[in-house]
Formats: sequence, structure tokens, C-alpha cells
Amino acid sequence: MITVTGLTKNFDGFRALNDLDLHVDKGSIYGLIGVNGSGKTTLIKHLTGILRPDFGQVLMDGCPVYENRQLKQRTGYIPDDLYFFSSTNLNEAARFYRSLYPNWNEKRYVEMTENFHLNKKIRMSRFSKGMQKQAAFLLTICAMPDYLILDEPIDGLDPIVRRQVWNYIVEDVAEREMTVLVSSHNLREMEGICDSVGILSHGSMLIERDLDELKTDIHKIQVAYRSAPENPYEGLNVLRRELRGSVELLVVRSSREAAEEIIRRHQPILFDILPLSLEEIFICELGGETSELQNILF
Amino acid sequence: MFQLDLKSRKSIYEQIIDNIKELIITGILQTEEKLPSVRELSRMLTVNPNTIQKAYRELERQGFVYTVSGLGCFVSPPDNRLVDQRQINEVRERLRGDIMELFYLGFNEEDIRSLLQEMFEERGECK
Repeated sequence: MITVTGLTKNFDGFRALNDLDLHVDKGSIYGLIGVNGSGKTTLIKHLTGILRPDFGQVLMDGCPVYENRQLKQRTGYIPDDLYFFSSTNLNEAARFYRSLYPNWNEKRYVEMTENFHLNKKIRMSRFSKGMQKQAAFLLTICAMPDYLILDEPIDGLDPIVRRQVWNYIVEDVAEREMTVLVSSHNLREMEGICDSVGILSHGSMLIERDLDELKTDIHKIQVAYRSAPENPYEGLNVLRRELRGSVELLVVRSSREAAEEIIRRHQPILFDILPLSLEEIFICELGGETSELQNILF
Repeated sequence: MFQLDLKSRKSIYEQIIDNIKELIITGILQTEEKLPSVRELSRMLTVNPNTIQKAYRELERQGFVYTVSGLGCFVSPPDNRLVDQRQINEVRERLRGDIMELFYLGFNEEDIRSLLQEMFEERGECK
């Protein structure tokens, strides 16, 4: 379990994280999302014990992470910008990881290098960008971490490897309740794999929830009436509203049943109700009011 | 066993529930048959095991499956299944839309009735 409370971090007077809370249950796959510069990577660097909090706590299994060797031995981390020692090949890198991670799984290493078709003997600096990412992933997952922290992990991986990578992650979550936190802008992919999400905004947690719950109480509605009723949406929390001809487009925050009941009362001649995708929720929550965004949404 | 549609607006959780129900109702999964374990299914579909766990719990709540601890999940006999009013309403709305569409296509009431009759008979044959 990961628990962050009141985390605050300043860089030269700039407040990167502001009183941030985060909770990740054991065995959960947690998606961390937010616009560029909202503090995702800074938060991740606290979770991996690289940065020291100015205020607040970062706990894993109830213990502070900073300078905590035992916890770090159980944490796998793939940063956004990879780093390998300059002249090492994959086998040498594996030897280094083996010396750091007590749970290193040699059998899996052999199996995965074959699946990924990576040459173990050539310098990793000669690998393509995608292959380097594959190598980083392979080394991390063979360390059998209890916590897996991924910063933009899937960029640059081809669809086949991506699928393999997710399969390894899902397997470890099912078999040994590994806890995963992943940050990404690929919301469609996140939607398919995460069970909970946290949306960061200006260094604070804006929303943190179970993904399916989040999706059950926000809906997109298309509706038209024969003659416009007065105040048709009383009792509904309408987030956005736009009229296109005689068809009205709405985003409401309420349960499907409640929205249906209220709108049907006015006998619409056209009525469609759809759940929002994670991408649309994201835009709705963080997009502000610009008309450009309305177009993406509706 | 079944495929998920990642582009669908329906969440993966709902898709799993609906797919398994369909397999049960059509008799592809028979009463007392064992469902794949959470682990197996999550691997098969590359889906978060927590999502599958949650879907299984919901199927159990609705009486479609039951769990034997240590052994797994099994299909319940038909009379245990809960009638889901919300879903009936959904289907009713869908039918309403489809019938409207038939009217647009030039069907009259009599045509629709005989179309329905045809479908009932088809189903009678497969049964």
C-alpha cells in the first residue's frame, strides 16, 4: 500500500507539489494522469525515494520511503528518460540488477530475453530507443518488485511488445499482488488497464477514485424536445451545455438512472445517454471553458 | 472464450459481465461448469485482475455464478438468477428505438408482429 499525505515540495520558490494526498491499495493498478507540468514526475520521484519531501509523508507499507533501502529493494522503477552505464551489455546490466535486488528471478530473465529477442552481448547504447525501453522493462520485472512505478512506460514500444509487457504486469498483479503506479498520457490504454486513477492538477490531487465508479457518475447526453421545456434540468448537475440547432448537448454529473428519470419527464423526441471516456472526463475536468475544447468533447 | 472491445463505451467491467452472462444464457457455459480463474482470465484478456474479480463478484450478486472457496467460480442453476430491472428497462428502450426504426423503414404494425412471430419460431427451433 502506498500512502502519501500532505506532500509539499518547492524548487527555488516554485511550488511543484502542494499538500498532495495519494492512496494506492495493494495489488491495484493505479493510473496517474495530469496535464504537462502538473507534478507527475516530481511525485514519482518522491515515491521512489529520490526526492525528499519538504512537508508531508510518503509511506509504503507504513514506512517512509526516503533513504529506505529495504523498500527500494522491493521497488521497481522505470523513469521517463532511461539511463544505462555507457558500455554495458544486457548480461552485465542483469548482473548489476541481481546484486541490488534480492528477489531477482534468473529463470524469468532467460525466458524474457528470448521472448523480446534482445541480444544480450552487444552494448545497450547500440539498442534503438524502443529496445532500450524493452531492456529497462525486462530488467525491472525480473527484479520481482512488490511495487512497480512506471513513468510514461509504453511510449516507443510497438503494439506486440506492449501487449507482452502488460501481460507480465497483469500476471504479477494476479499472482503476487504487485502494486503498480503508472503515469501516462495515453488515456485509452490507461482506461483499459487501471482500476483506479488519480488526476493531478497544479501539484495537488484533483480527483482520486475507482475508475468504474468515476465513469458511472458522469454522462454525455444528446437531447431534443418538440417544444423547449422550461428548466428541464432541475436537479441535475450540468457541467457543460451547448445547443446545436435544436439538439442540446450536455455533460452531467449524476447517475444514469437519475438523469434518465429527469429528462424523460419532458418527453424528449431524441434522447441518447452515453458514459464519458476517461479522455473526455480528463478534458472536462481540466480543460477550462474554451470553445476549442467543447468541440473535442461534443 | 470471448473478446473485449477496447473502443467500446462500455467499461471492461461491464463487458466481462455481459459476455459471461451471454455465455451462460446461451448454454455455452453450462450449469455447474467452472469459470476460468481470475488469474487465467486476466492473462487471457490482458485485463486487470481486480476488474475481473469485481465482475465475478457482481455476477455472484446477480445469482449467475457461485464461489466455492479454494475451488473457484461455478455457474448457478437458472432459478437462482436475479431479475435485473435496470437491464430490462434498457432492453425495453432499445426495442422501442428499433421498432421506431422499422416504422421509418416503412413497416406497419402487422409487419412487425409477423417479424416477431418469425423470431419466436426460430428460437423455438433452436431450443
